[in-house]
Amino acid sequence: MKNSKKLLDETPSQTAGPFLHIGCMPNKIKINNLHKSDLGEIPFKNKNKTEIITVEGSVFDGNGVALDDVMLETWQCDENGQFIEDNGFARFIPDNFTKKFKLFTLKPGRVQNLEGKNQSPHICLSISSRGLNMTLNTRIYFEGEDLIKDPILSIIKKNKGNLDSLVAKKIQKNVYIFDVFLQGEKETVFFDI
Amino acid sequence: MNVKSLIKRNYKKQPEIDFPDYKSSIFRAPKNKKISIPSNNSEIFGPVFNKKIIGKLDNDLTLNFSKNKMSPLGHKIIVHGTISDQFSKPIKGALIEIWQANAAGKYLHQNDKNTAPIDPNFAGCGRSLTSSDGSYEFLTIQPGPYPYPNRGIEWRPMHIHFSIFGESFGQRLITQMYFEGDPLINLCPIVNSISDEKAKKSLVGKLDTSRSNTQNILAYKFDIVLRGVKQTYFENRQEGL
Ligand SMILES: [Fe+3]
Repeated sequence: MKNSKKLLDETPSQTAGPFLHIGCMPNKIKINNLHKSDLGEIPFKNKNKTEIITVEGSVFDGNGVALDDVMLETWQCDENGQFIEDNGFARFIPDNFTKKFKLFTLKPGRVQNLEGKNQSPHICLSISSRGLNMTLNTRIYFEGEDLIKDPILSIIKKNKGNLDSLVAKKIQKNVYIFDVFLQGEKETVFFDI
Repeated sequence: MNVKSLIKRNYKKQPEIDFPDYKSSIFRAPKNKKISIPSNNSEIFGPVFNKKIIGKLDNDLTLNFSKNKMSPLGHKIIVHGTISDQFSKPIKGALIEIWQANAAGKYLHQNDKNTAPIDPNFAGCGRSLTSSDGSYEFLTIQPGPYPYPNRGIEWRPMHIHFSIFGESFGQRLITQMYFEGDPLINLCPIVNSISDEKAKKSLVGKLDTSRSNTQNILAYKFDIVLRGVKQTYFENRQEGL
C-alpha cells in the first residue's frame, strides 16, 4: 500500500509426509535425548487443574478411517481473551490404538475481532499430514456458547458451510468432542485464512 | 488505529490439494472449496517461541545424535538462508524445525519400511530460531533419495522437510527443500502438485559455492518467504457500526 514494490511470492507448501514426528515431536517416537520435551505438550503452564477442559476426537479420511499419522496444532487466547506469546500453542497426534487425540487446555475467553466485534470463544486448529499438500485450517467453537453473533460463523453460514462441523459437543462438564472429517458428507469446513 | 491483516494466499503458486498422482491425497484432500475468512487476531498474533527452548546442538544434525563423537555417514552439508515476508522484511525469531532421511535414504522412524540401513549416529532432526536478520543455518548430512509406494514404487528426490512458524499462526508453513541438479525433482508427483514452474523452482536449494569453498563443506542456500502482514489504518469504529 505504501509503495508499489512488487510483493514476493510466498514459498509453496509441501506435504509434511509420514515421518513428521522426527522433526516435530521426536520424544513421541522415542528419540528422547534431543529435546527435553516436545513443543506444545502443555499449552498453558501453571494453571489450576479445575480450569482445564478436554477436547477429544478423531480425524477421519474419506474412507471413514480414523487416522493416527496426522499432526494437529492449536493456537488460542487464554481464559480472559488475551493472546500470550508462548502460551496457548499445542501440538498433538491421535493415539496409535484408540485413534483419538486429546487436547488439555483452557477454555478460551471471548476475543474481539479487528473491528471490535466480539467473537465466540474458539481455538484455531491446523492439520498437517501425509497426503495433505497444504496444512488445513479450521476452528473449534463450543456448544453452549452464543454462536449466532460470531462474525466468522456468520460468513460460514452465508456460504452454506457445514456449521455443525465447527462446534465441539459438550458430553460432560469440561469435556468436549470434536471430530474432523477430511472428506465425505460430514466434511469439515476448512478456511482460507 | 492500525489494523494488521495477512496478504491473501495466491493458490496458483501453491500445490493442488486434490492431486491423484500423489496417491495419499485421494482420500485425504478435502473436496469442498475453502471458505475465505477475513484476517483476525487469532490468526495474526503468535505463537512466538522463546530462545530458551533451543539447545546448543539443535542446529547441528551431525552431532546432536552422535555417540562418542562418531560422525554420521555421508557428506556434511550446510543448509542456510533467510526467512522474510512478502514485503522482503526479515523475520526474526522464526522457528524452523527440519527432518530428513540419512545418507542412505532411511528415516529413523518405525513406519519407514525402506530396507536401507539406519545410522546409529544420525536422528535427522534439527531446529533453530532465525537471527535478527532473518538468517538461519543448519549443519547436516546430505540426505539420500528413497523409494516409496505411490503408483508402484517411485523415488523421492533428495529433500529436507521444513516446518516454519513466523510471527502469525496464519504464516505457518510446512514445506520441503530439494537439491539443485537432482534429476528426480521433475519426476516427483509431490513436487509436480505445484503447477507454477517458478514456484516449483523456489523449493530447490542452490549450491552456494562461495560458502562451500571457505568452509570446505558443500553449502546450499534456501530462502523462504512467508505471507506478508500489512498494516492498514482504520478509524476507530464502535461495535455495530
Ligand atoms: Fe521425506
